[in-house]
Amino acid sequence: MTALELVSLLTQAIYVLIFVLVGWGVVRRHTRTSVDIALFFGAISVAIVESRLVTTLGLEQGEIVTDIVALLIIAMPYLLLRLVDDFSDVPLIINRIAEGGLFLSAVAFIATEGTVPPPILLAVVIYFAALSTYCAVAFVRAARRAAGVTRRRLQAVALGTLLLGLAIFFAGLAPLLPSAMAGLPNGLTQALALASAIAYFVGFTSPHVLRRAWQEPELRAFLRRAASLPRMPDTPSIVRALQDGAGSTLGARAAIGLFDPETNTLRFQDPHGVLPSEIGRSDYLAWRVFETQHAEYYPDAARAHPALASAYRTHGVRSLLIAPISAANQRLGALEAYTDHQPVFSEDDLDLVRLLADQAAVILESRALIDEAARVQAHEEAARLKEDFISAAAHDLKTPLTTLVAQAQFLERRAETQPLAPADLPGLKRIVREGRRLSALVLELLDASRLEQGKLVGEREPVDLVELARDVARRDSYEGRRITVVAEAPVVGSYDPRRIGQVVENLVENAVKYSPDGSEVRVDIAQRNGEAFIDVTDEGIGIPAGDLPQIFERFHRASNVDDRRFAGMGLGLFLCKGIVEQHGGRIWVESREGTGSTFHVVLPLEGAR
Amino acid sequence: MVDDDPSIVAVVSDILSAEGHEVVSAENGAEALAKVNGEALVLLDMRMPVLDGWGFARQLRASGKSTPIVVMTAAENARRWAEEIGAAGYLAKPFEIDALIAAVERYATGRH
Repeated sequence: MTALELVSLLTQAIYVLIFVLVGWGVVRRHTRTSVDIALFFGAISVAIVESRLVTTLGLEQGEIVTDIVALLIIAMPYLLLRLVDDFSDVPLIINRIAEGGLFLSAVAFIATEGTVPPPILLAVVIYFAALSTYCAVAFVRAARRAAGVTRRRLQAVALGTLLLGLAIFFAGLAPLLPSAMAGLPNGLTQALALASAIAYFVGFTSPHVLRRAWQEPELRAFLRRAASLPRMPDTPSIVRALQDGAGSTLGARAAIGLFDPETNTLRFQDPHGVLPSEIGRSDYLAWRVFETQHAEYYPDAARAHPALASAYRTHGVRSLLIAPISAANQRLGALEAYTDHQPVFSEDDLDLVRLLADQAAVILESRALIDEAARVQAHEEAARLKEDFISAAAHDLKTPLTTLVAQAQFLERRAETQPLAPADLPGLKRIVREGRRLSALVLELLDASRLEQGKLVGEREPVDLVELARDVARRDSYEGRRITVVAEAPVVGSYDPRRIGQVVENLVENAVKYSPDGSEVRVDIAQRNGEAFIDVTDEGIGIPAGDLPQIFERFHRASNVDDRRFAGMGLGLFLCKGIVEQHGGRIWVESREGTGSTFHVVLPLEGAR
Repeated sequence: MVDDDPSIVAVVSDILSAEGHEVVSAENGAEALAKVNGEALVLLDMRMPVLDGWGFARQLRASGKSTPIVVMTAAENARRWAEEIGAAGYLAKPFEIDALIAAVERYATGRH
């Protein structure tokens, strides 16, 4: 056996092996694509086996057998084109040319009974080579579109096709060349044929090890991105990033549906707007996968779910890869990748989809844990705030109470020991003052508690805000400050008069409290676009910018406020905000430290809830 | 008597004066440090503006004075705070006037 014969035998063995492996694949699961692959290698294998049988056993070649084998070989480029057509649309004109070429070469072969004259043989050889080249280019383009394992496999297939085309070209050329040069194309042909056999073997029947190695860089890239995902601002952005990552890893579009236990559905926030946003029980393929917890490859979505065939067609969903997203016993959702073509090798990508779905599960679980930790923290924070509130309230209540108890006991003791002594007027006044202070604190606390229960605002009636503000301004407790109410006309809305009065009073009292003697406090009242505007402006100490965001919070007092001079629980603005908001309005403040503050209140005039 | 609430200062002064004690008052720790001058006892509120009870106690000891302190607070942790600053005793607000008088009699050093 010469080296050339050995190469030839090896090449033929590889082709037959590919056919056996591919054929076994068809037996397990047949799709149009896998059948086309099997047909292509079947044609090659029959030709090989037939010629081997003839040479080794020395059998007489029947004419019909020879013809069939020759026709199979003639059909090979056409079978290859069919395969190309399976995953990228081959223009109709090319298909027609291929069919015409197939027909004409078959006719030429049969008509000339195997001895084709050189010009026709040349035409057939050119037809073979051109079609193979076209297929190789189509595979290269498909490879560029694909990603992951599929991309590498398509690259190998493209290479195999190109080499096969060249081999056929040189083999066809041999009979046309002068006999002296015949040896050269023969060696070249054998070498090209072996190389194409190896490339096809790698492409069509990739060993497991190779597939693993090809998957690795894609997975690695995905994992590199994945590590930062759980810290993204919210779950929808995580899902979007996972979809993008899975899509680019698989060379397809990807969508993630998250299980919603309340509605018992999978919720998709599909960025491509391709699938309905909710997938319910028994509907849709993703739900089936979610139920069974088994990853599935649907080469033909329309056939797997005929009821949705037209929807799939409209949205360009041809084939689907779906894997469940589950962590431990938690069923979180499903990951689906879909393409508008039936990809040649999606069965193998099922592994990759499973891995990606598992990663998605890890990321979503991490996110859930982060959220859970935040919830626990918020809960503890709320409990701590409540504790702080109670202890601050207790502290504030005990302060006047201390004076009340001590002063009353002292007066009692004096009355017992010195019944004739004159009344201790300062002591009695202290009792009255601290009693009032205590009462005001208790009322503030009650209001705060009602506010939390949403019961602060009571019955509403038509209220003229201008008149209400003038009433507040007329009170005598402002220690010489001028309170000016500025309004052009009455502003009447439907409010709880006592509570809105409380807001205006509180804002005016604050303005007075924090501004110097003799300064002016202005209350502007107006109405515009169905809303009432109340602005209370002072020329006081102002509020530091750092305190502005918290000024309406419970117990917050600005940092430039001296606690001793400005007694009170710090609930005033918290209550104002609650009252205004429960009237459907809003309150905010503009202030410059040292210049003064303006508190703005906006209330709806009509239709307030 | 160091307290930022003027009403409490007034009533405690009245009570202790009636018992024959002399009372000097201050409304925060800083003012108290400036005024302290061989008194027999400091009645000390803890939460005050400018300089609080902890700051006052630390600076008082740092200046070498060993005047006994009785913590007087409306907060719940009167006892712990008293321990923290090494006070002789504590009075939780609100208190009975007998408790106030007893504390002063018990912890005051010498009599003026």
